[in-house]
Amino acid sequence: MAALIEVRGLAYRYPDGAQGVRDVDFGVRAGERVAVLGPNGSGKSTLLLHLNGLLLPTDGEVRVADLPVSEETAPAVRRKVGFVFQEPDDQLFLPTVLEDVAFGPLNAGLSAPEAEARARVELRELGLEGQAERAAHHLSGGERRLASLATVLVSEPEILVLDEPTAALDARARRLVVDLLRDRTETLVVATHDLEVALALCPRALVLDGGRLVADLATADLLRDPDLLERHGLSAPLA
Amino acid sequence: MAHIPDGFLSAPVLVGTAAASAGAVVAATRGRARFAERRAPLLGALTAFVFAVQMLNFPLGAGASAHLLGGVLVAVMVGPWDGILVIFSVVLVQALLFQDGGIAALGANTLNLAVLGAGGGWLVYRWAFILAGRSRQLLAVGIAAFFVAVLTGGAVAAELALSGAVPLTPALVAVGGSHVLVGLSEALITVGILRMVRRARPELLADAPLPSAVTRRWVVGTTAAAVLLAAGSYLASTRPDALEAAVARLGLDRVGVATSLPWADWWPGGPWGRALVGIAAAFGLAWLVFRVAARRDGAL
Amino acid sequence: MSFRHLDHWAEVPSLVTRLAPPARLLAMVAVALGAALLPMGAWPQMAALLVLVLAFAATARIPAPAFAARLAGPLFLVLLASCAVLVLAPGEPLWALGPIRVTDTGLVRFGSVVGRATPALGAAVVLVSTLRFPELLEALRKLRLPSAVTTALGLSYRLLYTLADEIERLRRAARSRNAGHGAAGRRRTAMGIAAASLVRSYARSERVHRAMLARGYSGALPQLHAQPMDVRSVVVLLAVSAIVLLVVSSAWL
Repeated sequence: MAALIEVRGLAYRYPDGAQGVRDVDFGVRAGERVAVLGPNGSGKSTLLLHLNGLLLPTDGEVRVADLPVSEETAPAVRRKVGFVFQEPDDQLFLPTVLEDVAFGPLNAGLSAPEAEARARVELRELGLEGQAERAAHHLSGGERRLASLATVLVSEPEILVLDEPTAALDARARRLVVDLLRDRTETLVVATHDLEVALALCPRALVLDGGRLVADLATADLLRDPDLLERHGLSAPLA
Repeated sequence: MAHIPDGFLSAPVLVGTAAASAGAVVAATRGRARFAERRAPLLGALTAFVFAVQMLNFPLGAGASAHLLGGVLVAVMVGPWDGILVIFSVVLVQALLFQDGGIAALGANTLNLAVLGAGGGWLVYRWAFILAGRSRQLLAVGIAAFFVAVLTGGAVAAELALSGAVPLTPALVAVGGSHVLVGLSEALITVGILRMVRRARPELLADAPLPSAVTRRWVVGTTAAAVLLAAGSYLASTRPDALEAAVARLGLDRVGVATSLPWADWWPGGPWGRALVGIAAAFGLAWLVFRVAARRDGAL
Repeated sequence: MSFRHLDHWAEVPSLVTRLAPPARLLAMVAVALGAALLPMGAWPQMAALLVLVLAFAATARIPAPAFAARLAGPLFLVLLASCAVLVLAPGEPLWALGPIRVTDTGLVRFGSVVGRATPALGAAVVLVSTLRFPELLEALRKLRLPSAVTTALGLSYRLLYTLADEIERLRRAARSRNAGHGAAGRRRTAMGIAAASLVRSYARSERVHRAMLARGYSGALPQLHAQPMDVRSVVVLLAVSAIVLLVVSSAWL
């Protein structure tokens, strides 16, 4: 079956010369859910930023829905890929939460009333309809994370890419986010250092270390291999 | 008193400064619309930064503390046009939502702080940079910050005097004088901050292309000429008889060239005023020459 | 920090907040402009505009103590600066105390400055008490301010709050490190905080730019349509402008 996301021989070198990732090869089929694991600095974010053309490879190729990712195709790729960044405040940049959620649909060409209607529906689904007219800094940390998810989910992308979606969240908020994502049918690529989240959401795990892909296996198998975990700077669950 | 409240300036001054600053802001957005919109996140971040940093306290000692205006700081980082836009945005919101600077006086405050402060600040910075050399970038920054603060003070004083609120001489002394102190702290703080920024992210302060030797010669030459002209005009205005004697010796009086500058009699402030105008004229001339030279050089 | 009031002051609904944002903005700008454009000594006109401002403040249901408190700070600064106007004016002194001479020109100038400043400041207070920041942005856009300015301003609102939080964190970190004592030390700390927050502002703006691109940003901030300019807003605006015009021209003619 043709892969929805194809990464072949991907390498990326930063402008200052540091090597971000190298020799990365993998494919993701439609509907698959993949966790990207690795210690800090292993290149998880760098890899993810290639999936919607925010970074372009210095070597190798990335294909999304059979489109080679390039500067010209980036806008089209971004319509298929919803990217949730690590820091909700980076995604909530407009004066009200409603405007933030409506931003994507408006840019996609929807009329103002349509975009607003879609945004309100999405906010209601996430339990945030009371916060629509407020500024993001008046929301709690968990609410902000949900709002940042809303800004992406509202556009109904085929592929969801999430960079550390549960970072800095308390247990309850983490549960909320995981439950929300678990019920969805999109193709999922989740970078996380939280092994419990990886196990709960993604049957498959890619392990990055020092910019290279060092393992591609079932998440359950990974967690049964304490050697592998320790070798690559991950640690087994404490319990 | 960098931000002038409403009530102090007369109608003609309000209208004149509004027209001048509106022209500058429109010029800053003309032809760069698409470029500026892509820079919107950065300009937004800098607008927020100027806002925030103007609220910071920088202790000077003996219980005194200074605040930063930030015009030269921004101009050094993003250039004159974006600098004007950023400071204009700050001044606009300060007038409308913070009662910091009058609403009607927006034109004057934009002129003083954005056009002169950031735009003029960049010009003085480039000028000083060409003179001082790349290795002394921070010196150029300091010179620009100081000069522009004093210039801003002069502008405020001139606007107040032209409005008939206060006479020019005490205004220049009080406002201009206090802005000399502001200039010193502005230079100190701006250089201090940029030094640390350069250490952390040197590429943020990477400059426009280095000027050619030709430009450098022009700049040095016209600076010298400007200084001589200013000094000469001051001396001439305080010793009119010497000027007349010189003119007579050169035979120019027969050609009918005015021996005393025609507006000298009604210009307020006596010799101060004449010297001020002389320096302004010299700078204006020098600036024109600089623009021509720099454009030829591709540096602008 | 002192900008956090922005989110709270304009929450009281009233007849004024039911006007479209451009009307709210332009009405108060008209009053401020009118007051500032009055010639020296136009006492009745200054009083008239002050009454107009107070009428607006009452219609906007701004509590009198709140109004007075918001006006007090900037008005005090104006009074302070006006003292210079009072004593520096030329003319025959009516009253002298040592080097301080008060002339009748000085009194006229002083009175005119304060008389113009008060209604103008009052209008500004009514403005900030009845216009939320998103509405101000909407009004500036409708008034065709350059989009470079309105887009940057639009983003700067959130960026300011996140920056202020950063600065607070940096301050706390500096305090817990027992950074710099004495004026020079504290100054260096302040400069360090400013420099760090400037560098982080750059980094944040890059991340925000990426987030915008990821959601299809192509250079313009698309707008949700909010309150349209309805008939009532236009009528009120025209009425206010007419009154201001009448008052100001009566002073000049």
